[in-house]
Amino acid sequence: MSNPREIFVNIKRCTGCKTCEISCAVEHSKAKNLYSAISELPTPKARLSVEWHQTAGSIPVLCRQCDDAPCMHACITGAIKRDVRGAIVTDTDKCIGCWTCVMVCPFGVIGRHLQIQKAYRCDRCPDREIPACVESCPTKALVFKTVDEYSTNKRYAFVEEMSEAIKQDV
Amino acid sequence: MKHSSYLIIGGSAAGIACAQRIKETMPSCDVTVLTDEPHLPYFRPLITYIINRKKDVSDIAMIGRGPYTCGDLNIITDCKAKSLSIDQKTVSTNKGDFGYDKLLIATGSSPNIPEELKDIRCDGIFALRKLADAQRMSQMLINARHVVMLGGGLVNLKTAFAIIEMGIKVTMIVQSLEILSQLMEPDDTSLLKNAILNSGINVITGKKAIGVISNNNSVKAVVLDDSKEIPCDIVCIGKGVKPNVEFLDNSGIYIDKGVVVDRYTQTNIADVYSAGDIAVTFNPITGQRITTALWTNAVEMGRCAGLNMIGIKTLYAGTFGIMNATQIGGIPFVSMGCVHTKDTDYEVYTHKTDASYRKIVFNKYGTRLIGAILIADITNAGIYRYLIREGKDITKIKGLLINHCIHYGHLMQLNG
Repeated sequence: MSNPREIFVNIKRCTGCKTCEISCAVEHSKAKNLYSAISELPTPKARLSVEWHQTAGSIPVLCRQCDDAPCMHACITGAIKRDVRGAIVTDTDKCIGCWTCVMVCPFGVIGRHLQIQKAYRCDRCPDREIPACVESCPTKALVFKTVDEYSTNKRYAFVEEMSEAIKQDV
Repeated sequence: MKHSSYLIIGGSAAGIACAQRIKETMPSCDVTVLTDEPHLPYFRPLITYIINRKKDVSDIAMIGRGPYTCGDLNIITDCKAKSLSIDQKTVSTNKGDFGYDKLLIATGSSPNIPEELKDIRCDGIFALRKLADAQRMSQMLINARHVVMLGGGLVNLKTAFAIIEMGIKVTMIVQSLEILSQLMEPDDTSLLKNAILNSGINVITGKKAIGVISNNNSVKAVVLDDSKEIPCDIVCIGKGVKPNVEFLDNSGIYIDKGVVVDRYTQTNIADVYSAGDIAVTFNPITGQRITTALWTNAVEMGRCAGLNMIGIKTLYAGTFGIMNATQIGGIPFVSMGCVHTKDTDYEVYTHKTDASYRKIVFNKYGTRLIGAILIADITNAGIYRYLIREGKDITKIKGLLINHCIHYGHLMQLNG
């Protein structure tokens, strides 16, 4: 059983700076640098977004790469598949812009590129070891780990927190 | 007689999705798929791209594309099921008998042909359903000047756009007062109607075709119920579909319009399952029995049936009859759940601008989302679909839904 790394979100650390959005769009540009990407056509798009919630604050929302991905099964052209890395990717050439994937994604993370009438989505940065959003996040609100690593870290963090609390009590 | 552990009648969405599900869970088991078409499985919704030659047959093949990566399916083409014996566990076809341990009935549906047009035998009358129909139509369009489409549903609209792009005149005869009457109410259609008019498609509403005038086996004109004649060379009938149940007559399978299945996609007979257009399932909002003719529903149900067939009991969540996303004349739209609200006590909110439209429907208490139409801006349509389907209490996020500014962050907070 493969154990691919996933992008986890630590909402408490997100300050809403949207650096992840910029670096995602740049990574998905032809030029791969911000200054040229700005004027590129079709306009490079960020595949994740930082949304605002009035009590929870800023929340990065991105593709969860579902095990049983509704978008992949709903696609009426076979444009969406799971690649060798385990990431769900959309083949732009096969996409006809029918937006069925947009209709079935419960996270609302599939975008519509109106200049080319194609769907776009997070592809976990196939050309990179670590996805651009994760690498660029200045507060480490986004982390790229396997589920095991992430949950182990969570447990350590919890133990540390508890022992701090106990120390203070004593 | 050939025997397989898993026999699937029907090689389209439900059948192949089921086969894929079985194969990805149990790669070594034998799965046989029978299809009555001469082609290997293909993405049926793409046949309009065959009509205007934007794609060829290999572009729309299913096997090897998207999630359909399981290798060694035994697919038998040109094989039409004639009858089913539940005692002997065999299916008779024009290519002999096939035995099974578990059977999936996924023979889909065929176009409804209006009674008055049933007996007309001549080239140039189409009811677009299969790849072969599209190929034949594509061929005939080379010399066509005017195509008359009967019915204003989605398939006909998509076809109409494909044809008008080829520079051929298109007239659409719609019996109801407005196009897309299955998917929305007349008031909801104005943006789409404009897009259709701008495209050059001529729409005639409130009229019905009562006959076709032909000469030497070719179409000359369509006759309307006001006895007006519209000269044309091709007629395309798009009046919905009906389940292909004929071969199940006297088989013992319980039929009520389609094949009735339980919540685990099994028919009234053990080891016989059904999915897709032919299956009668239920609407989770109303609880009513429905059949649908939607690719996405068929895939979902087929996958669920696949799991049940290999012994992993899986509940099918049901589906709404209306669950469409597409783009008409450059305008995207989504229609989901209960959207026909005339003479109901539902709580309805509409919002209209020059460039967009939305209609959000709640139950009469205003506590649950039960339907939505989004035209032009379809952002986060999936969240609406999720909420309709789950039947969640949306009181806390109602304003966000009405104003279409909901995002997943709100759902996270709602779910806790």
